[in-house]
Amino acid sequence: MNRSWKVGIDIGGTFTDVIAINAVDGAVRTAKVQSRSSDPAASIGSAYQAVGIDWADVSDLIHGTTMATNAIVEDRLAPVALIATEGFRDTLEIGRQNRRELYRLDVAPKLPPLVPAERRLEVTERIDAEGRVLTPLTDAEIERVTKATEKLGVPAVAVTLQQCFTNTEHETRLGQRLEAAVPYVALSHRMSPEPREFERSNTTVLNAALMPLTASYLDKLEKTAGSSTNLHLYHSAGGMASVEAVKDRPLALALSGPAAGVAAAGRIAEELGLAQAIGFDMGGTTTDTCVILDGKAQVDGNQRLAERPVRQLMVAVESIGAGGGSIARIQGRAIRVGPDSAGADPGPACYGHGGEQPTVSDANLVLGYLNSGYLLGKTIRLDPQLALAATKKLADAFGVSAQEAALGIYQVANANMARALRRVAVERGVDARACTLIAFGGAGPMHAVALAREFGITHVVVPKFSSVFSALGCLTAELSYAEQHAVHMSSTAWQADELENLRREMHQRLALLLTAAGHAGDSLLAQHIALIRYAGQSDTVEVPFIPPANRDSLGAGFKTRHERLYGFVTDEPWELETLRLTLSAPAGNDIKIPTARAVPTSTPNDDSIACWFDTNSPIPTARHDRAGLTTEKKIEGPAIIEDQWSTIVVPPGARAWSDTTGHLHIDAGTFT
Amino acid sequence: MNSKVNPFTVEVIRNALTAIAEEMSLVVMRSARSPLLREAGDLSSALTDAAGNLIAQGRDIPAHLGIMGYTVQEFLHRVPAERLSPGDVWFLNLPELGGNHLPDVKAVRPVFAEGVLQAFAVSLAHWADIGGAQPGSYVPHARDAWQEGLRIPPLRLFTAAGPDREKLDLILANVRGALEREGDILAQMASTRSADERLAEVFKRYGAATVQAAIMDLHDQSESEMRTALRSLPQGLYTGEDWLDDDGAGDGEPIAVRVGIEIGDGEATFDFSLTADAARGPLNATPFTTAASVFYAVKAIAGPDIQPNAGCARPLKIITRPGSLLNPPLDRPVVGGNHETSQRIVDAIFRALEPVVAKRLTAGGSTTSGLLLFSGHDPRSGRWTTLYEVHGGGEGARHDRDGMPAVRPHMSNVMNTPAEVIEANYPILIERQALRRGSGGAGRHRGGDGQVRVYRVVGPEVALTTMVERCRIPPFGLCGGAPGETFCITLERASGKTLKLPGKTSVQLEQGDRIVLESSGGGGFGTATAQPA
Repeated sequence: MNRSWKVGIDIGGTFTDVIAINAVDGAVRTAKVQSRSSDPAASIGSAYQAVGIDWADVSDLIHGTTMATNAIVEDRLAPVALIATEGFRDTLEIGRQNRRELYRLDVAPKLPPLVPAERRLEVTERIDAEGRVLTPLTDAEIERVTKATEKLGVPAVAVTLQQCFTNTEHETRLGQRLEAAVPYVALSHRMSPEPREFERSNTTVLNAALMPLTASYLDKLEKTAGSSTNLHLYHSAGGMASVEAVKDRPLALALSGPAAGVAAAGRIAEELGLAQAIGFDMGGTTTDTCVILDGKAQVDGNQRLAERPVRQLMVAVESIGAGGGSIARIQGRAIRVGPDSAGADPGPACYGHGGEQPTVSDANLVLGYLNSGYLLGKTIRLDPQLALAATKKLADAFGVSAQEAALGIYQVANANMARALRRVAVERGVDARACTLIAFGGAGPMHAVALAREFGITHVVVPKFSSVFSALGCLTAELSYAEQHAVHMSSTAWQADELENLRREMHQRLALLLTAAGHAGDSLLAQHIALIRYAGQSDTVEVPFIPPANRDSLGAGFKTRHERLYGFVTDEPWELETLRLTLSAPAGNDIKIPTARAVPTSTPNDDSIACWFDTNSPIPTARHDRAGLTTEKKIEGPAIIEDQWSTIVVPPGARAWSDTTGHLHIDAGTFT
Repeated sequence: MNSKVNPFTVEVIRNALTAIAEEMSLVVMRSARSPLLREAGDLSSALTDAAGNLIAQGRDIPAHLGIMGYTVQEFLHRVPAERLSPGDVWFLNLPELGGNHLPDVKAVRPVFAEGVLQAFAVSLAHWADIGGAQPGSYVPHARDAWQEGLRIPPLRLFTAAGPDREKLDLILANVRGALEREGDILAQMASTRSADERLAEVFKRYGAATVQAAIMDLHDQSESEMRTALRSLPQGLYTGEDWLDDDGAGDGEPIAVRVGIEIGDGEATFDFSLTADAARGPLNATPFTTAASVFYAVKAIAGPDIQPNAGCARPLKIITRPGSLLNPPLDRPVVGGNHETSQRIVDAIFRALEPVVAKRLTAGGSTTSGLLLFSGHDPRSGRWTTLYEVHGGGEGARHDRDGMPAVRPHMSNVMNTPAEVIEANYPILIERQALRRGSGGAGRHRGGDGQVRVYRVVGPEVALTTMVERCRIPPFGLCGGAPGETFCITLERASGKTLKLPGKTSVQLEQGDRIVLESSGGGGFGTATAQPA
């Protein structure tokens, strides 16, 4: 069985998820193991072990990782030098001059700059907004600034020149020279060929700072995996990328894991024919939500990471600090849940590791949703007495019962998540009520139906493999690359040829990456998006098109979508602001989500427990083993459905059933 | 059901209401046309109850947020509730009707549920032009209110049936950049509509009685938190003052803002009676702006986590003297009072409390908008364009840290416009943007540095208006810290002549002229002697 396994692996902060499929007999194996943050190859090794395969058995490994994200969040970045146009080296420190907190004087109003003043250099050159050279960049100046950079002794340098995206010559020439002097060079026009020097500079610096770390990570991984395993990384825009492409652009890994999760949700949406869906991934400390339209996770070029602006295409995931570990506390006379989290250590009170404040998980245990009988990750046994004691303290402060307080915590946590869900829906102009909620992550299925009811969402899906969902997203990934380029073309000054030339250039550039990986140029699939707005507007509307771009059909598409998003249209001229292209290669072995169903070998030991769904009294609630569900068996709420890693709550009035693939569907019913 | 709502339900409803206010701002920012709204975010959103008591607000601009409750209350004095219908959107900007200055136009939408008026959604947006004597509607030498632009009493621009075209056209005929303004109006309308839809869901879900009971509870919570916060301040009488450089139109002398604060047991009175008389020029502030400044200062000093709503105001008494700078006659200009005098009110309060709670304060920051208003024709597009650009400076130091460079302090939080965006849209080249090193005041902790930005005019004719404070009276140091450097604007003519511009002036620029802006540094904290190298 040499080299017959294709494997998706997502290394998260706490757990490493793996799913492996055998190309010969279609066998599927999944597992979840503890991550070893210091040694990713070891995490992969123990994941392989858990599914009974060896490095030598793997033909394809597609890997999602939080390595880059953690490095940014934990500030473990390589020291970087920054080269800016003369007069602009402080841009990184000035920022947008607004402060983070309106009313807090004790908090520093801005984050400190990513590069301190002594490593920010200036180079004499200037290009204007039309791409004209105002001050030429001389070879002598290139030499001078290269020497000055070398003297700093840093492993990486970022270059951000003013207006470089209108004329890339200066950055390119400077970059060529720097590459001979500094190990890692990042050029801003390659990272984000769009205006806004502060945001572009941050993006470029972050990329440069990740380059040394990522290269050594990937070198090590390649060595361990061996040359006959095809190794790919999952990137933030949703797709896989080659090791070489990622070494050049490690910031593309920023949302690797979440992107793989929503990509899997996208696959499910496509498979089930769902036009509009919302991915809902609730873990221990954070909840990620993302809108999925026609099976595609929505992407956005303007986001933040650890409060820093990042301008590159990434799945539009709204992440909030709400999860199973979120702490409930009293503030004045009011109750708040999160964003403080008990994290993994000490964890919720019920873990018995010393946590004393009630968390969302404790509330779920008090309400009877979580099963005190089973072992989380085979190591943590949940203690209902500790959960009750922690919750009771809060309850006493308000003069209510522990169950009432637990139910309250559950509802407030849902309200917090509803805010995040609302934001993604609004930003995408989607009516949440028409969406299906696809719930995954450790805690997602426990809150999904209650959350759905907040919005009037009626259909909830808890997909098969929901607990190793990001790994599944990796496994089913296509090789794809995306980029966007500023255009600034008015409908009244339409230059069809210029546009088509730019599109061709972008296509050629991306195609090169794919043909280098052995894909035939004519087999590539292109997705074109025009980002359009009325003159003067800030945000753009995404309008898909088939090239060559036609002004009238783009205009019509723009107006239809603008009406949907903002409720009005006018006959003003509009502007094509940006062109976005995603180029992908069809998945070679066309992995579909495995449909083979395990036949229950024994009668599931379903039992009944008391769960609280309102404050009056507990209701006897049937508990089912997910593996034992069949398409015929419709389960009326109240019910709890469990698999090894997650708990699905089906409240009274809702009804659940399994489809032939093994996805669990829930009709949320009406709110009672 | 008892009148008291379960505290968890109150928190769930609080979340829902805050989300609605935040969504309103998102809608304006995404769909508005003018750069001031889309790039700089000079807008705010709020919900009030049926009587105009603030319920929830977005994370926006303190100078706006503090007034919007008053806007609705004063609006209701002019337009009784019986005249309101579902689908109405009323626009107004009169300073005396819960206003601040003419460019901040408020869209007010009554929200009905169960057939009864339940709430108002208010969207405030700074229009880049509201007509008047000069482009951008900032007239530094204005002597009366009418020079400042179009005055809009409550005007129903939209009904459930759609826009009222004649009224809309009247407004658009009196402001510059009609196309852009119409876009802003539609964006504000869209934002109140989204609030209307969301509120309908909330009222349906919980029932109006429960939601209203929860709102009362939220007000009580905030009142109680505010009283607790005030009790953390030592009781007593404190006085403080700070000075405006001048009013742009008068005799050029500094103008005093004075406050007497009486902290009682969980309550406080802020008496501004000793503040100077109303100014001739546009530095007057409305009593509503004064109240917004007091709310900001108290919240920042004593209770940053208090949920901002009308309950916060209950323990506070604010006194302004009719005829004074902070309660001016109706014919006086006010455009700069909104963001200059409001900051000076905060400064005066900080100075008053320095003897008792210095560790909770920051030293004086760059408390001015640092506004440069460029307008002219862009030869590339042939369009009339106005660049409204504000400039942050050094933050004042604290007892435990240095001030940050180049930020907007206190009452405002409007962003800058990136140099690359300016160059693509206006006949201006940015030659330099840098920190103004050494401009922060010395001290045990240093004040933050200001910034330098150099604008070169590359088009034929550009007009510049400045509305800048701290050019003469520097940001103060605290507990012995040194003051920051003053704000400085220099005009370097293409001809080689150089002149220092006053803080409030209008000047015609020629192609090749340069404006060098140096914003003020923050004050230091503590004496510098003990500072290690």
